Amino acid sequence: MKTHTRAERFFEHVTQWPKTIILLGLLLIIATASFIPTLQKDTRSDAFMPPDHPALLYRDKVEEIFGLKDPMVIAVVNQGEHGIFNPSSLKLIEWLSLELETIDNIDLDRITSIATENNISGTADGMLVEPFFDQAPDNQKAADAIRAAVMDFPLFVGSIAARDGSATLIIAELEDQSLAQNTYQAVLELIERAPTTKSDQLHIAGEGAVNGYMGAYIDADAKRLNPIAGLIITLVLFLAFRTLRGMLLPNLVVIGTVASALGLMAAFGVPFFVITNALAVVLIGIAVADSIHIMSQYYEEVAQHPEASSRQLAIQSMVKMWRPITLTTVTTMAGFLGLSIASIMPPMQYFGIFAMVGVAAAWLYSMTVVPAFLTLLKPKRSSAFSSATQVDKFGQTMSWLGRVVIKHPRAILAVAAVIIISGIAGATKLELNEARITVFQQDEPIVLADRAINTHLDGAHYLDIVIETPKNEDLFKPEHLQRIEALQRYLKTLPHVNGSTSIVDYLKQMNRALNNNDASAYRLADSAELIAQQFLLYSVSGNPSDFEKEVDYDYRLANIRVRLDSGLYSIGKSTIENVEHYLATHFNSGEITASLSGRINIDYHWIKSLGESHFYSIAISLLLVMAMAALSMRSAVAGVITVIPVAVSILLIYAVMGFANIWLAIGTSMFAAIVIGLGVDFSVHTVERLQVLIKQQGKTIDEAIIALYPSTGRALLFNFAALTLGFSVLTTSEVVPLTRFGAMVGVAVSASFIASMTILPALIKILKPKFIGLGNEKATIEKE
Amino acid sequence: MKRCNIMSLFVFTMVTAPLYAATLPSGDEIANNINARDEGHSVIRTLTMEMTDKRGKQRVRKTRGFRKYFGDEKRTAIYYLSPKNVKDTAFMIYDYADTAIDDDQWLYLPAMRKVRRISASERGDYFLGTDFTYEDIKQESKVSIADYSRKTIGEAIIDGHQTFIVESIPIDKETAKELGYSKVKLWVDAEIWIVRKAEFTGLRNRPLKTIYTKAIKQVQGIWSAHLIEAQNHKTRHTTKFIFSDIDYQTEISDDLFTERALRRGL
Repeated sequence: MKTHTRAERFFEHVTQWPKTIILLGLLLIIATASFIPTLQKDTRSDAFMPPDHPALLYRDKVEEIFGLKDPMVIAVVNQGEHGIFNPSSLKLIEWLSLELETIDNIDLDRITSIATENNISGTADGMLVEPFFDQAPDNQKAADAIRAAVMDFPLFVGSIAARDGSATLIIAELEDQSLAQNTYQAVLELIERAPTTKSDQLHIAGEGAVNGYMGAYIDADAKRLNPIAGLIITLVLFLAFRTLRGMLLPNLVVIGTVASALGLMAAFGVPFFVITNALAVVLIGIAVADSIHIMSQYYEEVAQHPEASSRQLAIQSMVKMWRPITLTTVTTMAGFLGLSIASIMPPMQYFGIFAMVGVAAAWLYSMTVVPAFLTLLKPKRSSAFSSATQVDKFGQTMSWLGRVVIKHPRAILAVAAVIIISGIAGATKLELNEARITVFQQDEPIVLADRAINTHLDGAHYLDIVIETPKNEDLFKPEHLQRIEALQRYLKTLPHVNGSTSIVDYLKQMNRALNNNDASAYRLADSAELIAQQFLLYSVSGNPSDFEKEVDYDYRLANIRVRLDSGLYSIGKSTIENVEHYLATHFNSGEITASLSGRINIDYHWIKSLGESHFYSIAISLLLVMAMAALSMRSAVAGVITVIPVAVSILLIYAVMGFANIWLAIGTSMFAAIVIGLGVDFSVHTVERLQVLIKQQGKTIDEAIIALYPSTGRALLFNFAALTLGFSVLTTSEVVPLTRFGAMVGVAVSASFIASMTILPALIKILKPKFIGLGNEKATIEKE
Repeated sequence: MKRCNIMSLFVFTMVTAPLYAATLPSGDEIANNINARDEGHSVIRTLTMEMTDKRGKQRVRKTRGFRKYFGDEKRTAIYYLSPKNVKDTAFMIYDYADTAIDDDQWLYLPAMRKVRRISASERGDYFLGTDFTYEDIKQESKVSIADYSRKTIGEAIIDGHQTFIVESIPIDKETAKELGYSKVKLWVDAEIWIVRKAEFTGLRNRPLKTIYTKAIKQVQGIWSAHLIEAQNHKTRHTTKFIFSDIDYQTEISDDLFTERALRRGL
């Protein structure tokens, strides 16, 4: 064959100057690795969304108009008889509010707590604007009075102070949001020093805290996961080859692969995301696979031709292996290309692109540096490949599997059919759901903080409703304000919605204060003039930016901040659908309209699109891989047969997810597209080998299967072990979605391996497809 | 050679430093000169407040103001003329000479036809949604002697006029916190003792705001600013006070500073 000789010539060149090739390879590794230290971390939850998503753009606009920020939040919880309204807890709140001022990045004018804010109350002849307390009280009676005052201030009840008095929040805005991680550390240290009594518990929450946590998680993961993955893979290599070169050469390819992917990421300014730690693990598994196949062939050659020179052995191994390795490289790259095209999450798109870079680098180093090294090294037998005919226990196990396939092909296909049917059934039962807080381990302080705010106060999750009117000062009109009031009343009836704040609440407070604190006056004034004058009254002692969060400077736009006690997608979804229906039927008119924004709205939109794009993304990857396989083997049937094992393994996972009620979420949605690229390698190797055995060597299908298992089958076994064990390392990650992702990919890769070793040969035995060469034995012989 | 240079520089400094200092009045002298300025026993004037937020949105309010000294006590009444929905709203302050006594404040809301008494504001609170604090308003064109220690640090030309630069530091941390300033730098006109420019530094030693006094003209023999502009560097909010129809001579009846007068309106 022509390609055969061309390949031979290529590897003759490569092995002619082995030292030069090795030197060039090492230089390339050093060059790419030198960029890695410049990698920047990006731990924002927004990083997972396309930056031009309309929901995100609208949120940014709304935040700009109303000056909304992600503050640092300290929750003080006291479950005692008086809750936080006791002298020592109040002293603690006062201390924290004051000490926060010493933290450099915290905005002095934007610290909100019951110790900093003014109470607005009415008296017989006027209005009293004064702090809830000047100095923390030293007796319970005074503390009770403070409690009564706070509970009589509806704006704070539920948002700043728990309705049952068991908790309160201290909210601090940051001057520079990008320094959140450092500020979080400073607040942590502050809490360490705080004069806390036994019954007080302190929690820190807020987006800044979340980012700080993520950064620490990533660092911890990177330090642990990658070395463990490397170690495990070296162990697999030892079991496979039992030689030093068998362990070191593949590791060199691994280093080169990871260095190119991460180095190029750094060079192109792509940040290190929460999931990038998984990229390294994936690449370790892929890089080692190529060299496992080369080294297996090499040791088979050594056993068969003990008299051959190093260079001849290297060339012969490469001539036999270049094709399947190149095939798996292009099909895997096609899978990752599909991932980067179809995913809506930028971290996943980059994952796909740089996984492609890594796979290409693994191919390059396997095609050049590995044969160059083998040429330099003296031929040495591996005890695992003692003679040309004898195989070790692993080979024997695989041979047994081969005999099972020959005996029971129909039974195997029946099992496959069951998996396919239950997989489709499972896929229809899949539930799209997500809760960001589940990214963290259950016992983490950040999770406890979230839980504390959700149980004691109105909740830590926000939905913003932006009200728009056509003209300036339209929001002085009582009919508009009454509409907002009715909307807030409706919101309160929705499950998990515990409260909301808008300009209406301030106006009602003001109206009551102006009317002798009469409870019946806690309502909106009925003339636009009085409302305008109430705003002016507020400004007598207010800051120019006091209502910034609730109403814009022209009194044309307003914001309602709605508090929910859950960040679960399914709850956000039903809330948003209900609110949108209410707005359409009861609220929106020519004179006033409302739109949604805030964290809950963003999560709703992008997780929804994540769900919508999930099956699309899998279809794209499958199609690309299939097209690549069909093209390389010049047969459409070959393409279809090659992707069947992967498709079956994905359906198996759907069956498990659907029947075990595992959510399709950020972590779990990533598995399928990655499994396609990885799992297809097993079937490509199997199909290619069968093609060689049948078409070129003229074996019958049963003979070919018998020959397949101890050699290619054995190499695939170690390939599979390296991948699966690599992914099982991910299950020890600190980041919960990565743990789940690792487990699912591990299981799916195992299923792909088993399917490639059972369903695939059984299918070929029964279908006898043309491309494999069956029935063409005569033609082949005649040609020869 | 080198030593010689340093010596001569030393001698030069020894000789010129006291001379140079002698040419500039001390910070306290300047402060006393500022406070000795004639402000008129009473004044009636139109004040237009122009507030602009960081996005360029504007609120404009036109008022007519009355201010009169009752001995050391200062009484002020402000009536809103526009916009329409706050017209006739009126605000009155009694500012007592004894700083230990809280100010008294009233607001008349025409839509309720009621005068409401409002508890005193802190000195560092913002005044009617502007970038001026109550303390800024209270001092008007004067300076507080007791709150700061001050020194003259140089001279400069502002708007074509010779000014002395006075650096004022609050006397202690507590005062600084009350005022909201850690430092105030004043550019004081060397002839007529009006502060032409003032730079305020926040408690974190970051620029907080700058106040410019402009269009200074004599009205009935009294130097009067017709434009005071405050720029808040932190919030990027600005306030312009535009004064017109200033009248120091028309006698203001004491009855104008009563709740009844507020209700009656202009």
